[in-house]
Amino acid sequence: MSATTSARHAAGTPATNSPSPLASAAGNHGVNLLRVLNSEFLKFRTLMSTKLLVVLTLVAIVGVGWLSALVRWNIIDSMVKGLGRNGGPGGQKLTAEQAVQSFPPGQGFDLYNLPNAGLNIGILVLGSLAVLFIASEYATGMIRSTMNAAPGRISTFVAKAIVLVLISYVLSIIGGLITFALSQPMFEGLGLKLNWGTDGVLYSLLTGGLYVSGVALIGLSLGTLLKNSAGGITVLVGIMFVLPFAANFLQFAPGEFWKYVPQYLPSEAAGRFLAIGRAEGILDPAMGGLIFLGYVILFLVPALIAIKKRDV
Amino acid sequence: MIEARGLKKVYGDKTAVDGINFTVQPGKVTGFLGPNGAGKSTTMRMIMGLDRPTAGDVTVNGKHYAQHKAPLHQVGALLDAKAFHTSRSAYNHLRAMAATHGIPKSRVDEVIDMTGLSAVAKKKAGGFSLGMGQRLGIANALLGDPQTLILDEPVNGLDPEGVLWVRNLARYLAREGKTVFISSHLMSEMSQTADHLIVIGRGRIIADTSVEELIESQSRKRTRVRTAETTRLAGLLAGDGVKVAQDEPETLEVSGLDPHDIARLALDHRVLVYELTPLNSSLEEAYFQLTRDEVEYHSHLSPHQAPQPAGNIPAPEATTGGTQS
Repeated sequence: MSATTSARHAAGTPATNSPSPLASAAGNHGVNLLRVLNSEFLKFRTLMSTKLLVVLTLVAIVGVGWLSALVRWNIIDSMVKGLGRNGGPGGQKLTAEQAVQSFPPGQGFDLYNLPNAGLNIGILVLGSLAVLFIASEYATGMIRSTMNAAPGRISTFVAKAIVLVLISYVLSIIGGLITFALSQPMFEGLGLKLNWGTDGVLYSLLTGGLYVSGVALIGLSLGTLLKNSAGGITVLVGIMFVLPFAANFLQFAPGEFWKYVPQYLPSEAAGRFLAIGRAEGILDPAMGGLIFLGYVILFLVPALIAIKKRDV
Repeated sequence: MIEARGLKKVYGDKTAVDGINFTVQPGKVTGFLGPNGAGKSTTMRMIMGLDRPTAGDVTVNGKHYAQHKAPLHQVGALLDAKAFHTSRSAYNHLRAMAATHGIPKSRVDEVIDMTGLSAVAKKKAGGFSLGMGQRLGIANALLGDPQTLILDEPVNGLDPEGVLWVRNLARYLAREGKTVFISSHLMSEMSQTADHLIVIGRGRIIADTSVEELIESQSRKRTRVRTAETTRLAGLLAGDGVKVAQDEPETLEVSGLDPHDIARLALDHRVLVYELTPLNSSLEEAYFQLTRDEVEYHSHLSPHQAPQPAGNIPAPEATTGGTQS
């Protein structure tokens, strides 16, 4: 085996080679955030799984986005043709504009948020990727090497956060751009004027990226706190998907109060953040964004404390 | 230079390291020896700042590890043969680690070459054998050309060439004036590598001494005597400080008397002796003796004082590095 041969070669080195086989090509630079960031980017792109995941995420965001746009198109189309619920005739004929407006705002039928049609899949995949980005280091033991190289620890967490935010934001934006570019012609076919200048389109594209980045930060925090990929992803899915689903049942609780509770959940508050316009009894977009930001900080702070104080 | 003062680590109700003091000097290979679970790895993790001491503290080259501006240039450590991501190649792992200190790629190639990993450097580290994993860990430790090298059980899983290589490397670095601290549970390995030994048992330092002194203090010089008249000779030899044991027929093991005195006694009483062999303790035996007696040693010592094993054991003339090794 050639490895052993070179071992033999190396075995002689310290004794025979003069003056010093270790004479340093190592340089004498210190560790700083920029270098740790460079290291984390290197880690990110040197794993086949992450590269694959990035490509798949993009495909999924666009694919699911396009499908969900198609569903919307179908519904509006059938309303315009005056088809009834079962596809048969008998429904009232509407113009496309009327059909769109027949849905209450914020129910996901606003056309300006078409760029975010596939956002939920991005949240799921990129959030999980964020959990994995640190939990896999705990699982494999890599974290000990990482913490030895950057014993300040916080810099590693911050660097990972920056990598994840950048990746999440860029992927969401690209995914949103493609989704919108693909679905816009379908709706134009219905006579609906829709372009990048339409109110809320750019806004929802840009905020959608922020939402996914925020979820990635929550994922990173969960991965840090739980040190476990499966556990972290489960909790993340619980928070982002199961909780809002469960909260739907609150509507059946007696009293007006419970109807207004679900909108304070992370996913719902963020959903408001992505929308434009105000409505009675519903959070303002800015308030929604602030609440979501609060949740992100709520997860980040304990994770930072844990990574700094905990034994590795 | 590594300095530990009152270093203590408690996990739940188990005290892994119990207030130990020691200094690891530069220019020497210092062996850190102890049975499994004695607290070696925990101590090393505390040196590297991975575990927070419950009490006391430990510094490397004058500072806590995390306070160094360029920690990889100060200390290189192999704490765990599997401290890498299983799906990343050895080369990329080292590159990511090097990036934190702006260490150039050329140095990465250098340590890969030095540790004999060239052939497998581009393969996923998860598929490495224990020995290859150790080599990668050592490459990682050498990356920053550190002043201090800490290796936890570095020869585990290495082939004989690898073992020899680690031994040469450690000795070479020590000669260069660097601090080399190597843990092992194998005394035979340490006896060939280390200049100085720190022996730990149940979280306490049992011995902190040079290799020669340890053997000297722990070895009890014995003589094997073969004779047909064992009972009679045993009776003649019995006396103050003399122990006679019989394990095999016609064979006695005598301690407390040198072969010359035994021969004289036998001649005076006309006992036929057909073998007289001096038996030297190896370092291994000395180590067994130390760790076996650890409880007894500590019952009458204050926790912050490194015990002097030489104290209550008669130290005859120096014996050398072991008959078996």
